[in-house]
Amino acid sequence: MRKLTTAIMAGVAMSAMLSTAAFAEGKVIGVSWSNFQEERWKTDEAAMKAAIEANGDKYISADAQASAAKQLSDVESLITQGVDALVILSVDKDAIGPAIDKAAAEGIPVVGYDRLIEDNRAFYLTFDNKGVGRIIAEEVTKVVPEGNFAIIKGDKGDPNAAFLLEGMMEVIGDDVNAGKIKIVGETFTDGWKPDNAQKNMEQILTANNNAVDAVLAENDGMAGGVIAALGAQGMAGTVPVGGQDGDLAALNRVARGTQTVSVWKDARQLGAAAGDIAAALADGTMMSDIDGAVKWSGGEKGVEMDAIFLAPTPITKDNLDVVIEAGHISKEQACEGAMEGVVGCK
Amino acid sequence: MNRFLPAIALVAIAAIANRAANAEPAVPSFVEETASDGMATVYSGEWEYMVGGGAAAFDCSGDGFPDLFLAGGASPAGFYRNISRQGGELRFEKQASGLELETVTGAYPLDVDSDGIMDIVLLRVGENVIMRGLGNCRFERANEMWGFDGGDAWSTALAATWEDGADFPTIAIGNYIDRHEEGFPWGSCTANWLHRANGARFAAPVSLKPSHCALSMLFTDWNRSGTPSLRVSNDREYYKGGQEQLWRIETGTEPRLYSADDGWETLRIWGMGIAGYDLNFDGYPEYFLTSMADNKLQALADPAPETSPRPAYTDAAFAKGVTAHRPYVGENVKPSTAWHAQFEDVNNDGLADLFVAKGNVAAMPDFAMEDPNNLLLQKADGSFVEAGDRAGIGSTAISRGAAIADFNLDGLLDLVVVNRWEEAQLWRNTSADNANWLQVRPIQPHGNRDAIGGWIEVKHGDAVMRREITVGGGHAGGHLGWWHFGLGGQTEAQTRIVWPDGETSAWEKLRARHFYTIQRGRTATVWQPR
Repeated sequence: MRKLTTAIMAGVAMSAMLSTAAFAEGKVIGVSWSNFQEERWKTDEAAMKAAIEANGDKYISADAQASAAKQLSDVESLITQGVDALVILSVDKDAIGPAIDKAAAEGIPVVGYDRLIEDNRAFYLTFDNKGVGRIIAEEVTKVVPEGNFAIIKGDKGDPNAAFLLEGMMEVIGDDVNAGKIKIVGETFTDGWKPDNAQKNMEQILTANNNAVDAVLAENDGMAGGVIAALGAQGMAGTVPVGGQDGDLAALNRVARGTQTVSVWKDARQLGAAAGDIAAALADGTMMSDIDGAVKWSGGEKGVEMDAIFLAPTPITKDNLDVVIEAGHISKEQACEGAMEGVVGCK
Repeated sequence: MNRFLPAIALVAIAAIANRAANAEPAVPSFVEETASDGMATVYSGEWEYMVGGGAAAFDCSGDGFPDLFLAGGASPAGFYRNISRQGGELRFEKQASGLELETVTGAYPLDVDSDGIMDIVLLRVGENVIMRGLGNCRFERANEMWGFDGGDAWSTALAATWEDGADFPTIAIGNYIDRHEEGFPWGSCTANWLHRANGARFAAPVSLKPSHCALSMLFTDWNRSGTPSLRVSNDREYYKGGQEQLWRIETGTEPRLYSADDGWETLRIWGMGIAGYDLNFDGYPEYFLTSMADNKLQALADPAPETSPRPAYTDAAFAKGVTAHRPYVGENVKPSTAWHAQFEDVNNDGLADLFVAKGNVAAMPDFAMEDPNNLLLQKADGSFVEAGDRAGIGSTAISRGAAIADFNLDGLLDLVVVNRWEEAQLWRNTSADNANWLQVRPIQPHGNRDAIGGWIEVKHGDAVMRREITVGGGHAGGHLGWWHFGLGGQTEAQTRIVWPDGETSAWEKLRARHFYTIQRGRTATVWQPR
């Protein structure tokens, strides 16, 4: 993960470069979605399809409906339909192997989309997910570099809660050890629920006589709960709070000044990059020659892969215009009750 | 298949098979009797009780009706004596039994000392306890008397077998996460234990390493070698580098894992429950494995008769329509979480059906919250069709363990389901159609009374229906008592027992709609409730 910063920068630059590159047109790109009923993939699909069609290629797709077994059958069917490259959002990283074997046997390149397919015959494209926790901590410590911190973690049963914490500790760990930052409360939150986060925050405030200087929450919903607890003590807006997801309510809180940052993953970037990478691979480009590709071996099995990690975007009062211009949220909704000086709300 | 069959005959056979295959199986009807049944057990508690919640069904009163034990988690477990009448509504009466311990995750009935009075092993967060049956549904702790080390783990699975010539059973216990690693439990799977017999006691347990957070175990003779192996289904959420496991457990030797060299393929699932059944009448069991999202139906890759097959399995779940990977009614965007699974013929048509208990771990946001239990009915072509809603058992409570048994001895299988944070539910099978059935109970004279490791074979048309007599599997609980077969329109059936040592009884013609006890070495005897 050490080369990550380079990878992120390269990744962002790459999508712009690729879309202007000239490829042989008329390829068929097959996309295997894990569960297309999940609302979030609609944005990815629109961007992916637009990029594929802009390259003069054809988009075909299949929906595994959350079944790893159906996905194997879907990929087989896409191969039968004559695809030149596959983009696979896997249902189950440990069950997708046979699909990669089939694609490899037919010489069809594969992009593992968003979720890791740990196989060096697949290209890996995702956001820098571990970076999310790091960015939350970075943005909050920009405002309050030391003092009493509370950490509101997600559900105990969900490993993401631990990964996000790891990212946060990469930023504040040294200061915690040096005593500059004191963790005065660190709680798991059942079901990642805002009302549970609010209860936990209330307890942390009580236990510390309200002496809390900053809060790192692992998502926006829980940040909302934290801010409600702070509000009850008249502290909302004075204590910086970080979260993630680009939730619409959270973006409005950024405008109102009660939430410092919401880390946002722009699905359009990911979708467009997948369409372009698939086109390049279909055209015979080696995976390692994809613009911006880095070598990465941070998966469970340590397999060295060609990968691109797109950087998530921290949304603060200084760049709220980014989500508005992206069409992720309307200006009215984002800026309702905005404080002075929020970029995008004037 | 006879390869010299003329092509034209094959076409005709295919046409007949297709017609039969397309026939929808009869949908059984169930009536929920939770409100009036007399039971009031909730599987309660926080983190340590996210798994478990087993039910044990067995007769301890001697009247032939299955009584019920339900795990209570952080609350005391509940014992309920069955006071139903044959063919009547389901009625249970709470009774002090000695089994009302706290921190119980599950339980399996097992006649440890072969005295004909059922004992029961309680799996717990903390020390496991064997409770010796005293008769009339009273039990006493027997860990000390039988040399059973209850340990101090988070126990979640059990399987039992009798090794050759042993006086006592061999019990495998599956242990889950190290519960003291609450902050970061991933990778903290604790060792599973194997308690082997030492005369009429248990030897000190040995660790089955590596262990990968087992949630279900089953001793099963997968290759018909005569010696059951130990299947272990493991929860990939918490292990590092783990997989599903199959252990050779051979008398007098150390347990050995089947490996890739033997043909065992790596499979990683959120394994929660195992149900075995010979679905295609070839003599070898298929295994349904519950998980999150897709469930698996494993069939031997090359079941060559008269040879020793490799432990290589293909996944037939998608082809047979039993992936059951997301809710079949209501909001179905998010995948399901499956726990107890059990094959039983709920419509008595001679084809095993499949019940699956479903429910979110707690409130995991990526998985369905309203997750109805499944009842998958087998069709003549071996595929399954969902009927949980039509049959009336599609509860969306957060379900865990369950038991399917004939609680009112009317030949129709009933259902009890244990729920997390909600009362257990009970359904009576009230199907009106007249399909026939047969229930048998093999009994050995001395050790291993219930013939664990044996097989019951019943002829149905040209096929032989087979049930392996096992203790284990499902999720944290099981049923031991009458073994049920649906017979369709058949009014009698040739039946025999393959006893655990391989000796096979003669075929005997038994009448449909009857209960039989089959004592080893004697002819079958009709049994009826007093």
